[in-house]
Amino acid sequence: MEQTEIQEKIFAYMQQMKGKKKLKEKDIIKKIMEESGDDKDTVKKALRAMIDVGKVMYSYGGGSSSVEIPSEEYLKEKGLI
Amino acid sequence: MGGKYKTPMLDELEKGPWPSFVTEIKKAAKRTEMADDELGQVEKSYVTKRGYWKHGGIVGVLGYGGGVIGRYSSLPNEFPGIAHFHTVRLNQPSGFFYTAEALKMIMDIWDKYGSGLTNMHGSTGDLVLLGTTTENLEVLFAEYSSRGWDLGGSGSAMRTPSCCVGQARCEWACIDTMAICNEVTQYYQDQLHRPSFPYKFKIKVAGCACDCVAAIARADLSIIGTWKDNIRIDQAEVKKYADGGMNIQAEIVEMCPTACMSYDGKTLKVNDAQCSRCMHCIAKMTKALKQGKVKGASILVGSKAPIVVGSLLSWVVVPFMELEAPFDNLKDLADKMIEWWDDNAKPRERIGELIEVKGMRPFLEAIEMPPVPQQVKYPRKDPFFFWSESDFN
Repeated sequence: MEQTEIQEKIFAYMQQMKGKKKLKEKDIIKKIMEESGDDKDTVKKALRAMIDVGKVMYSYGGGSSSVEIPSEEYLKEKGLI
Repeated sequence: MGGKYKTPMLDELEKGPWPSFVTEIKKAAKRTEMADDELGQVEKSYVTKRGYWKHGGIVGVLGYGGGVIGRYSSLPNEFPGIAHFHTVRLNQPSGFFYTAEALKMIMDIWDKYGSGLTNMHGSTGDLVLLGTTTENLEVLFAEYSSRGWDLGGSGSAMRTPSCCVGQARCEWACIDTMAICNEVTQYYQDQLHRPSFPYKFKIKVAGCACDCVAAIARADLSIIGTWKDNIRIDQAEVKKYADGGMNIQAEIVEMCPTACMSYDGKTLKVNDAQCSRCMHCIAKMTKALKQGKVKGASILVGSKAPIVVGSLLSWVVVPFMELEAPFDNLKDLADKMIEWWDDNAKPRERIGELIEVKGMRPFLEAIEMPPVPQQVKYPRKDPFFFWSESDFN
């Protein structure tokens, strides 16, 4: 699958899970591997590319990390939109 | 600026001969509203006995998942200067060595973009910068990274490895702690900046069992320098200690945790087969006793402070490992440990906890280490029954 297609799947999954579960990088990779049939490294690379441009971001709480879709407010604060 | 708040309770903490964090924050409060408002909020906490910090969330520099810990005041209208008060972790140099020029540069940038308050060093080892805003994070990071500094780890990631001063300053360092620390820091860059583990993973490197970085208590992977052969004894120097008033029987022999020493008033003897290389006698009789010459490290696993569940001390998995650059044997072992933990742990479960749950047997099998007596943690706690089907046929 093309990287952009994988990224669309990642984003759709994260939107679906928003507010329901704090997703770890591993949860996302596992789910998208199942859906797309791509290997771990390919999915990981697609996810990392999204993180690099701020499409999705790492979040932190209680010493533990997850990946989230950032709010518009935060993106404005960071000067990304 | 400064002096916006009356702080009678905090003022109590300036009394006495020791340095006071209150005094330092007051100094910073003369220059920044952040530090001034921090004083106000902390005083309020002391009065009401409540904390007013919120922590976490999406905050960091682009592409990184670690190094910044979001912190906010829950009273931003009352204390606007600390509405944002994020913590930034800078990856410290191995052994905590800085030039005065480097420290000045770090502080000049920090005074410009943050509160000016620091914690040198945090318990993980990073140089901790206390208090900046979300909008200042990217520019702060750009300033530091352009000068060769990088952020440390936070969250479910490889945490910034740390080490003691090692062979740079200490005659007891059995391994090159600084080289090992630098090597694993470089090797695990991706895992350090991109949190993908079930929880935190800490590596600490101590040159000897004196363990100046508390590797045995605070690191998931503790690398502690040791030696294989016999302790070297200079009996003439032993006599000098005795002549100087040292009670060798009480202070050395009877304090030996494995009772492997004896002293007849003239000669000090060590049963090296029973010695656990704890460093007690060597640290007390520095001129009379020296470590052996065949040096390496013991590799231990699993310690942690009591955050989610109780604290654990690290557990020996490799009694002796030779460690020479580029330390591939160590990195290979660490990779296997991390892979097993990553595959099996629940969220927020440290590797030591996972070993407690699953047992040492699957762990040893995963890291391809044979069971050896040194791995037994407590008497009668023996998890090493490696029975297989063939044993019963």
